Amino acid sequence: MNKTHNINVGGYPFTIDDDAYASLEGYLGKIEAHFRRSEGAEEILDDIERRMAELLQERTKNKKIVSKDDIKQVIAIMGTPEDFDTGSEFGEPEGNTSGREYKTGKKLYRDPDDKLIGGVCSGLAAYFGIQDPLWVRIAFALVALGGGLGIPIYLLLWALVPVAETPGDFLAMRGEKINVKNIAKIVEEQVENISEQLSEIGQDWKSKRRKKKSERRQRKSWKDHL
Amino acid sequence: MKLENTKAQMRKGVLELCILAIISEGEAYPSDIIEKLKENELIVVEGTMYPLLTRLKNAGLLGYQWQESASGPPRKYYHLTDEGTSFLRDLLDTWNQLVNVVTQSTKNLVENE
Repeated sequence: MNKTHNINVGGYPFTIDDDAYASLEGYLGKIEAHFRRSEGAEEILDDIERRMAELLQERTKNKKIVSKDDIKQVIAIMGTPEDFDTGSEFGEPEGNTSGREYKTGKKLYRDPDDKLIGGVCSGLAAYFGIQDPLWVRIAFALVALGGGLGIPIYLLLWALVPVAETPGDFLAMRGEKINVKNIAKIVEEQVENISEQLSEIGQDWKSKRRKKKSERRQRKSWKDHL
Repeated sequence: MKLENTKAQMRKGVLELCILAIISEGEAYPSDIIEKLKENELIVVEGTMYPLLTRLKNAGLLGYQWQESASGPPRKYYHLTDEGTSFLRDLLDTWNQLVNVVTQSTKNLVENE
């Protein structure tokens, strides 16, 4: 005994075994994922489904139920996305995977490396592409002096906007693409930062000891993130 | 450098020409086109055919008509548009030039074998 499903393939009804249904569903899912970004994806998928319906109808002429073997045969005729890639498909040239880029939208973060109070202004400057956070700070100061709204807004942003922690956060904050090269850049910057900090610590160890200790702890948590 | 890759690239290059040529003989159904291409290993599975036909159609080289089928859903039969016909003619010229160049440059190789 086997459970069956009633399905619609390319506008045609089929009764199909449970295991056959699973394999058909998996196949169509793979096909869809493969063509999702192709031009005319919808039409391609529609054509393929229609043709599969035709092939299935030919196979089920003398019986009522589509079996797993039927699905296997039809898939062999249509081919899997792996066949498309090694066969004669007109695809995009295979790019080098090392240069693959993941585009990210710009995100608002607080910048812990350039802050007077909470890093809100420098984060805003990075978000809006303003070179020098000083302008944002001046604007905030003016708003604060003018109507008194500046300070509550600042505090609200301080509380709500997350601080940039990982290299990915920093890139997203600056609106840069997250790829291996850019992450390496960020890591380099951080390492430089740390060595600068260390030499500063050496220079005026006594006066800054307490403050730097906390900062070093911060840097360490940073490194753990990497 | 993989031989298989180079071979696949060469086949890809002539695939469009062959598909247009087959369709130019008369209205064609994708699986019929595939039967002819399979014989020469130009295409192995049907799935590769549909994106290609859609692309050629969207480029204005092909048109299609729905035809009822006794065995199942209505079928799309493809034909060449005027643009497709002249495109095919251009491709064929290029192909003939290529054949000449390849024959010329491999002449000694073939004679030595």
